[in-house]
Amino acid sequence: MKAKLIFIPLAGIVIAGGPAYATVFLSVEQAQSVLFPGATFQPDTRMLTDEQVKAIERASGVNVRSKQMKVWRVSTGGWFIVDEVVGKHEYIPFALGLDDRGAVKGVEVLEYREAYGDQIRNPEWRKQFLDKGPDTKLQLGKNIHNISGATLSCKHITDGVQRLLATYELVLKQSER
Amino acid sequence: MGGNTCIFRRSVTLCSDHPSRRKIFKLRRLGAACLLSVLILAVLALPEARADEPVFGFSYTTDLLPKHKFELEQWSTTRFTKYPGGKFWLQENRTEEEWGCSDKLQLSLYQIYDSTHAFHNGPFGATTPAEQFQYYNPGPDDHFSATKFIGVSGEVIYRLTSPYTHHVGVALYTEPTVGAAFFEFENRLIFQKNFRDDRLIFAANLTYAPELRRVADPSNPSKKSIQEETDANISLGASYRFRRNWSGAFEIFNEREFNSYNFTQESNSGYYLGPAVHYGGKNFFVTAGFYEQMPWASPHVATVPGGIVGGRIVDNDFEKYRVRVKVGWYF
Repeated sequence: MKAKLIFIPLAGIVIAGGPAYATVFLSVEQAQSVLFPGATFQPDTRMLTDEQVKAIERASGVNVRSKQMKVWRVSTGGWFIVDEVVGKHEYIPFALGLDDRGAVKGVEVLEYREAYGDQIRNPEWRKQFLDKGPDTKLQLGKNIHNISGATLSCKHITDGVQRLLATYELVLKQSER
Repeated sequence: MGGNTCIFRRSVTLCSDHPSRRKIFKLRRLGAACLLSVLILAVLALPEARADEPVFGFSYTTDLLPKHKFELEQWSTTRFTKYPGGKFWLQENRTEEEWGCSDKLQLSLYQIYDSTHAFHNGPFGATTPAEQFQYYNPGPDDHFSATKFIGVSGEVIYRLTSPYTHHVGVALYTEPTVGAAFFEFENRLIFQKNFRDDRLIFAANLTYAPELRRVADPSNPSKKSIQEETDANISLGASYRFRRNWSGAFEIFNEREFNSYNFTQESNSGYYLGPAVHYGGKNFFVTAGFYEQMPWASPHVATVPGGIVGGRIVDNDFEKYRVRVKVGWYF
C-alpha cells in the first residue's frame, strides 16, 4: 500500500496541470494599423531562393528558418513584414515595419505562448530598434539592452530584426528599383 | 534470518520467504503502470499547455527560474536489476520546491522518500540493500523491503554566465542533504553551450559529493560505524528541440565512488547512457529518461569482491537500469 501511496504527489501535480492558452496581443491587421496608421497594404508574399538565404545568413549571422516571406507593401512607403522567432518552446510571431529608407519604424509582438519572457512587449524595450537600419549590427547587451528573465526572447527578437533588415537590403530593396 | 521469520522494523520488513511478496510486487508494477498512463494522458490532454526546462534526466543546465517565480517539481527514479537471478527494485521519490531569488540565483528545498526491495541482488548473490537503506543489515538470503523518508535537501544554483549572452553558460551548484543516518554535501559545476537558435543544447556537469553515512560495522553487525565516501561524477548531454514543445536528448554519465574524501580508495565506477524525451508546456513540463549501465566496469583498489558481474557494478549504489520521470508545474 505504501508503494502505491508514493505516487500520489506525482499524480496530483499532473492532474493540477490544467490547460494554459496562448496570449494573442494583436492580429496582423491591428499591427498594420499601429505601425502605419491610415495606410493601405498590398500583399507581396515571396519565396527566397537558396542563394538569397545564404546571403541573408552571411550578412546577418542568423539562421533563416523559412524561405517563405509574408510581406506587404505600404501605400505611404515602406514595408510591413510578419515573421516568427524561436521561443523557449514555441515560436514568437512578430511584425516589423520598415520605412521607405529600410529603417525600423516599429516592432510589434503579435502573440506570446511562453510562461516567461513576455516583457519583450514593453514599449521602452521595443523602442530601441527604432531607426535602426541594415547597416547597424544589433547586439543584445550592447546596443540592445537585455531584460532579466526574458533573455532568450530578447535575444531571438533581436536576431529576428537583424535578419529581416538584411532581407530588406538583399531582397526587398532590389524590388523597389 | 531463517525459515519464515519476518522482522518488522518501523516500515522495514525482512522476510526470508513470504507468500504475499509476489502480490506486493504486482501492486507496485500496477502502480507504476498507472503512473505512466496518467503522465501520457496528461501530456496528450493538454493541447495548449506550454513549458520549460529541464531537458535532461540527469544533467543540469544553467537555465534558472526568473526572479520571484515559483516551481513545484516531482521526481521519480526507478532503479532495477542487479545480480542475475536476484531481485532488485528501488523507487526514489523527490518533491522539490524551487524559487527564483534573482535571475542568477535559484533556491530549492526538497524532500526525499524511497521504497525498495532486494533479494540475492548484490556481490556473490547476497541480499544487498540500496545505499540509502544500508543502515539496515539484512542477511545474505533475506528478502529486504523498506519504505523510508530519507531526508531533506537544500539546493542553491548561481549562474555566472548565460549561454544566451555569453559564449558558454556556467553555473555553480551546491546541495546539502541531511538524513537519519547520513549527511551529503553535493557540489556541481555546470556548463551549457547552445547552437541553432538555442534548440540544440549541450550540457556538461562535474560533481563532487562527499558524504558521511552511519552503517552496520562489517566486523560486528550489531554495532554501527561511520563510513566516509565521495561521489565524483561526470555527465554529458545533448538535447535537440525537434518540434514545438518537444525535445529529445541523449546523455552519458560516469559515477565514481571513493571510500575517502581525497579521491583515494576508489571503490566503484559505472558508466550509464541513454535517451530522454522532454515536453515543455507554458506552465507544465514532463521529462522521462531511460539509462543503462554499460559493461565497462573494472575493479579498483577498494572494489568489493564479487561487486562486478558481467562488466557491471552491482554494489549498493549501482544497478543495470534507471528510469527517471520529472514533472514540474510553474506558478
